[in-house]
Amino acid sequence: MEKSEKGLSLWIDAVRRLRRNHVAVVCFVVIVFYLGLAALCAAGLVFPDHAVTNKDAAYLPPSGDYWFGTDIFGRDVLARAAHGTITSLIVGFFGSALAVVIGTFLGAIAGYFGGLIDELIVWFYTTVDTIPFILLIVSFSFVMGAGLYTMCLALGLTSWVGHYRILRSEFMKHRERDYVQGATALGAGHPRRIFLHILPNTFHLVLINFSLGFVSAVKAEVILSYLGLGVEPGTPSWGMMISDAKLELARGIWWSGTAATLFMFFMVLAFTLFNDALRDALDPKLKSR
Amino acid sequence: MSDTLIQIRNLSVDFQTDDGTVNAVKRISFDIPRGKTVGLVGESGSGKSVTSLAIMRLIPNPPGKITSGEIILEGQNLLNLTEAQMRGVRGNKISMIFQEPMTSLNPVFTVGDQIAETLILHQKLSNQKALEKTLDLLTQVGIPNPQERIKSYPHELSGGQRQRVMIAMAIACEPDLLIADEPTTALDVTIQKQILDLLADLQKKYGMSILFITHDLGVIADIADDVVVMYRGDIVEQGTTQQLFKAPKHPYTKGLLACRPSLDKNPRRLPVVSDFMTTEGKERTDNVESLKQRKETRAVSDQQSVLLQIQNVKKHFPLKKGFFGGVKDWVKAVDDVTLTVRRGRTLGLVGESGCGKTTLGRTILRLIEPTEGKIMYGDTDITGLDREGMRAMRRKMQIIFQDPYASLNPRMTIGAALMEPMIIHNLGSGREERQEMAGELMKKVGLDRAMLNRYPHEFSGGQRQRICIARALAVKPEFIICDESVSALDVSIQAQILNLLLDLQEEMDLTYVFISHDLAVVKFISDEVAVMYNGKVVEMNDAIGIYENPQHDYTKKLLSAIPKGL
Repeated sequence: MEKSEKGLSLWIDAVRRLRRNHVAVVCFVVIVFYLGLAALCAAGLVFPDHAVTNKDAAYLPPSGDYWFGTDIFGRDVLARAAHGTITSLIVGFFGSALAVVIGTFLGAIAGYFGGLIDELIVWFYTTVDTIPFILLIVSFSFVMGAGLYTMCLALGLTSWVGHYRILRSEFMKHRERDYVQGATALGAGHPRRIFLHILPNTFHLVLINFSLGFVSAVKAEVILSYLGLGVEPGTPSWGMMISDAKLELARGIWWSGTAATLFMFFMVLAFTLFNDALRDALDPKLKSR
Repeated sequence: MSDTLIQIRNLSVDFQTDDGTVNAVKRISFDIPRGKTVGLVGESGSGKSVTSLAIMRLIPNPPGKITSGEIILEGQNLLNLTEAQMRGVRGNKISMIFQEPMTSLNPVFTVGDQIAETLILHQKLSNQKALEKTLDLLTQVGIPNPQERIKSYPHELSGGQRQRVMIAMAIACEPDLLIADEPTTALDVTIQKQILDLLADLQKKYGMSILFITHDLGVIADIADDVVVMYRGDIVEQGTTQQLFKAPKHPYTKGLLACRPSLDKNPRRLPVVSDFMTTEGKERTDNVESLKQRKETRAVSDQQSVLLQIQNVKKHFPLKKGFFGGVKDWVKAVDDVTLTVRRGRTLGLVGESGCGKTTLGRTILRLIEPTEGKIMYGDTDITGLDREGMRAMRRKMQIIFQDPYASLNPRMTIGAALMEPMIIHNLGSGREERQEMAGELMKKVGLDRAMLNRYPHEFSGGQRQRICIARALAVKPEFIICDESVSALDVSIQAQILNLLLDLQEEMDLTYVFISHDLAVVKFISDEVAVMYNGKVVEMNDAIGIYENPQHDYTKKLLSAIPKGL
């Protein structure tokens, strides 16, 4: 009798919608597979010998022992590609997370306070936005040295602008809503209004943007490594494998590039389709009031 | 030619939702006679709009589906027509106008282009002919300066003018049936009257039938010949307007008629529909004391202690800025208003949209900073308070908004929403006690405390408005501003909420400022009424006096525009 009933939050509702979407479930399984693979590789439980070179086994075509053949140093291509997952996930996660944190924070205060603060931040972002992204990363790697974490930092510091714009306009919109005005009338201060009221109502966008940013960061890593601006040589990376393949392909050695491309293809596809499902599930406009 | 234009027989419409199939319309039958107006009345969710969309065959599929029935127009069942044939019917034989004229017009085309498009499409007129006809139509619907207005974009017109343009588009092809879906709900009463008159004139001229859909019984009594009352997808009663208003048969119709505050009836409390549904229409005996008596026992006199005094308050918004940042033009939303609110009483603030009543309400709470003037709460001038002082003051003053869907944070449980004000103001000594207090508040507004863990979207509109009231009460305030707090609710729910507000006032000695555009509601709930026009208070008197003996021209105009009912 006095026992209170469990409420149905919009988050639980979104998960319920996601679970009903078969494509989303399959994509989620693929993403979990990649995460598991990366974890097992990092722990050394699978493909422990990915870095062991063997001159005699160089450029072996795919076979029962080596599903995707071997590379110039006789390393198992499959093992290299599997370990490349770690690099991709790190870049995707940290690159995107940094961008989302910066974008959300600046967007929130610019949109919420408006006025001079808004103008200052807008001026700042337009300035950042005018610098070509590749140029900025090149200068970053000159100053800090090329490497995995430099790349994360560079990606994060350059890709927050789009996210900032979305959050800023959301905050401007929500600031005027009755429920925020009501909180003001109750005596709630600025931090409470920003973080307890408006942020949870825009958090679905944060989540979607993080996920979108993840995909672009994964792709950016591959492109940058291909251009030689990415990870240190020797680190297993899909971009490095594709970069090496550009010379090998002419000699008919197709398996290294193919493995890296397939690995990347399935990860990006899974994330992109999952994003669409996520957006549908979280979109409050779809929800009947 | 028979005198029935459309026969609707056994029409059913189903919607597929997450929670299963909903029968939005259940095997309904009614006729629309030629040249007459049929009023379709019902509250939200009664299926009245779905019925009209079904006649136009515009039910979105999926999720909706017409599962059975016939809609016969001139011997032809519309449900058997192909989509191409149906396009010939829409706009040509049946046309439709909607509630919100702004969203029904395309903002990037001029109104002339939009009307002409209909003519070119359906009547295959040449551009020149269409233009001439458009001008003629705009003149007919009473748009001033049609020569110039034809080149206007929708945003350059007022709400009433936009609805006129919609009507011009709808009658462009001289349809046999005009479906009007809440065409005046978004408009002020004075504009509403003009639009209703216009529809009646056009009907006479073209001999068309009108299906008029509304929740407002007053409007129906003014315009309709026959009335169909819908309740939860069913027709509960139909008959001529005379019959229905004089001798309603079904308890729901009786309840609906009784629970609407009106200018000439003076009940002490509003009856609610459920009274009629359970006791089969027996008048409640506890309702004998009239509104007049209630007001007399609560007469407002100068001796009564003053809670709030608004002195020469102005709020001006900058409209145009000069090149160097200087403001060139101002909108005077609130222009030199002086008002007194007495403790334990209700001050009604009426006026049409844009008169500044909402701005004044928010200025009193300093949700908007006043440009000039003093707001004395007891002995403190709250315009001079700093942030900390204002925060403490907010405990005493609360606000209840119009839209219960927008005023609750959708990501917060009801319990969290009720406890938040206690946390801010340090009421209660911990989670347990606050939870207990939140439970008490739920009981006070007539809800079950077991619902505390639920989220706003799990409640109906009326329940949400109760939650908003509970939240305002959480800080034990003395003074509450109700900003159109019942305007978004169905009449039956509106009656419940108004009764609740009265009970709470009595119980907790609350003082209200009640802002509304609805004069009948304001008369019912207020002790004193102030009429606002163009940012100024033009008249103020006690609630009975202002209706029986209006002084200012604007007040008279406002009162005469209200649909009287039968």
